[in-house]
Amino acid sequence: MTEGQPFVLYDCGLARQGCAASCSTLDDLLHAVKTASDSVIEHHLMRCVLEDHFELHEFPNDLARWCWDSLGDHALGEQLGLVDPYRHASIASLREALATMISQRIDQQDVQLVCRPGLELQLMQSRLIAYRTDEEFTTPVALAEALPQFTLPSIFFHVHEARRRSGNRTDDFSQWLADRAGEPEIVAAIRAIDFYFLNLIQLREELQRIFHQFMPDAPSVAGAAA
Amino acid sequence: MTLLERYEEVVGHQAVLHLRQLADRLQGKRVVHVNSTRTGGGVAEILGWMIPLLNELGLQARWEVISGPPDFSRITKAFHNGIQGMPVTITPADLALHRDVCRDNARRLDLSADVVFVHDPQPIYLPEYAPADTAARWVWRCHIDASHPDPTIWQHLEGALPRYDATIFSMAAFARQLVKPAFLIAPSIDPLSEKNRPLADADRLATLERLGIDPGRPLVLQVSRFDRFKDPLGVIEAFRLVKPYYPDLQLALVGGSADDDPEGPEVYADVMRAAGNDPDIKVLMLPPDSHRDINALQRSAVIVLQKSIREGFGLTVAEALWKGVPVIGGATGGITLQVHDYQTGFLVYSPAGAAYRIRYLLRYADKRERMGRAGHAFIHDHFLLIRQLREDLQMLLCLDRPGSETLVV
Repeated sequence: MTEGQPFVLYDCGLARQGCAASCSTLDDLLHAVKTASDSVIEHHLMRCVLEDHFELHEFPNDLARWCWDSLGDHALGEQLGLVDPYRHASIASLREALATMISQRIDQQDVQLVCRPGLELQLMQSRLIAYRTDEEFTTPVALAEALPQFTLPSIFFHVHEARRRSGNRTDDFSQWLADRAGEPEIVAAIRAIDFYFLNLIQLREELQRIFHQFMPDAPSVAGAAA
Repeated sequence: MTLLERYEEVVGHQAVLHLRQLADRLQGKRVVHVNSTRTGGGVAEILGWMIPLLNELGLQARWEVISGPPDFSRITKAFHNGIQGMPVTITPADLALHRDVCRDNARRLDLSADVVFVHDPQPIYLPEYAPADTAARWVWRCHIDASHPDPTIWQHLEGALPRYDATIFSMAAFARQLVKPAFLIAPSIDPLSEKNRPLADADRLATLERLGIDPGRPLVLQVSRFDRFKDPLGVIEAFRLVKPYYPDLQLALVGGSADDDPEGPEVYADVMRAAGNDPDIKVLMLPPDSHRDINALQRSAVIVLQKSIREGFGLTVAEALWKGVPVIGGATGGITLQVHDYQTGFLVYSPAGAAYRIRYLLRYADKRERMGRAGHAFIHDHFLLIRQLREDLQMLLCLDRPGSETLVV
């Protein structure tokens, strides 16, 4: 989106593929982290936020959730929960960090934990399908007014996916505002959101809060929710 | 009003727009779906709505049904059971008959298409015997839990798979190690069908009266084929564990017979024996077109059970949740995609577990109602037919444009 252009809203969906492989132990997980395709790593570390339907998950990625919920290795779950894939320059770098963490944990274990049958981490990969909607916004206030109605996959596309597209440099919202010039505070505030820590509902609310803070004409989070 | 316009009123403008955007990329594609029955069971229900929608979107869709001698149903039922891990007896002659039936149907049916979707094991060998160039692509759609199949059965079915370009499973745990891509697409329900559309209360009450169910007393319901994997005897056991605490409680076990399921009458007889003379247990074998009756029963239940011990997806779970009724389901297969503890119902592992959760939900009406609301919203967002159709079309697009980069439509 370049200067003077409207903000074009996109939605997205995943075409998921099963890998017919699963993890029951940390050895399995280490093997998967080392050998699975980039798309598998990307799905379980980044795109899995799209699968959190009830805001049930403590941690932002599948590996941490599985270690905590299914394997019962809370210490490793906590560690993996702090891994931020968007701060890695490449999937290779992310893989290396994950493998090191899991290897160290394996070395510390006296007894190998095994998850209960049925609770295995089922490996999958996905391909992102982006849909251009018929919604466009020409002013920040119009964008802010519509924000509460944006689907969660739209939020994912314009924040998480935009970060991946831009090498973690920017999201689409702040980039569009920056291109318009004259909104430096809100641009900085949006770029400072710890987006990976939040689920998509929380992220949408955080965006609403920032728009309201810097644009008093924009609706508040509470008002928007009503 | 077109079909898509009617669905747009339920799922919203953008969801239907996305379908049209995908379909624009696939205009004129000839699509054939093949299964083994036109009536009974979830696959026939799905194809009943999918074909007209595909045509309205500008694809050329048809539905073909294979046929075979009476013994064929026995063999394919054994496949069905064997894929889901039940030990079965199958002879070389049975396997040969399966191939023969597929060969005959491959010659008889019009399978010329850009893509042929072959549903479940019954027609799996069609691509082997179809004339060359019949279809540009073959996709095998497995609706059942193939995670721990009987080795003999799987070895036989696996022989058909090299001819396929892709497979579809309902969830990751079902996917088998295959050369071809295994897409994950959960089934869905049709919110406008006779089974799921809103129902006038007078019609609902009239149905209960006709079926001998007291509308003034709480009803627990399981709707499913009379099939051992659905554990109807476990449902009766759970009901009897609860009954001393809630003497007013009624149970209805409601099933239909699919014409490709030869074991149904035998299981039905077992269920009737277990129910005995208990006037509060209604065992109803309804014709396959009893959609309105099922609708009324699901809307009348305080709790719906789907206590399966193996399950492909469990469309009846989605149906109940769509109607705002919490579900207690066996922790297996696709039920685990739909039932989330304390959110939309409870997953259970035994008749005792089912009994305990029935007591919980009967005790806390407020929680029951909250879970019902959450269940309806969850199905709206994830398990209505527009989502399944979108994912099917996404898959076709991915097959046309292989790779891993983002596809923009």
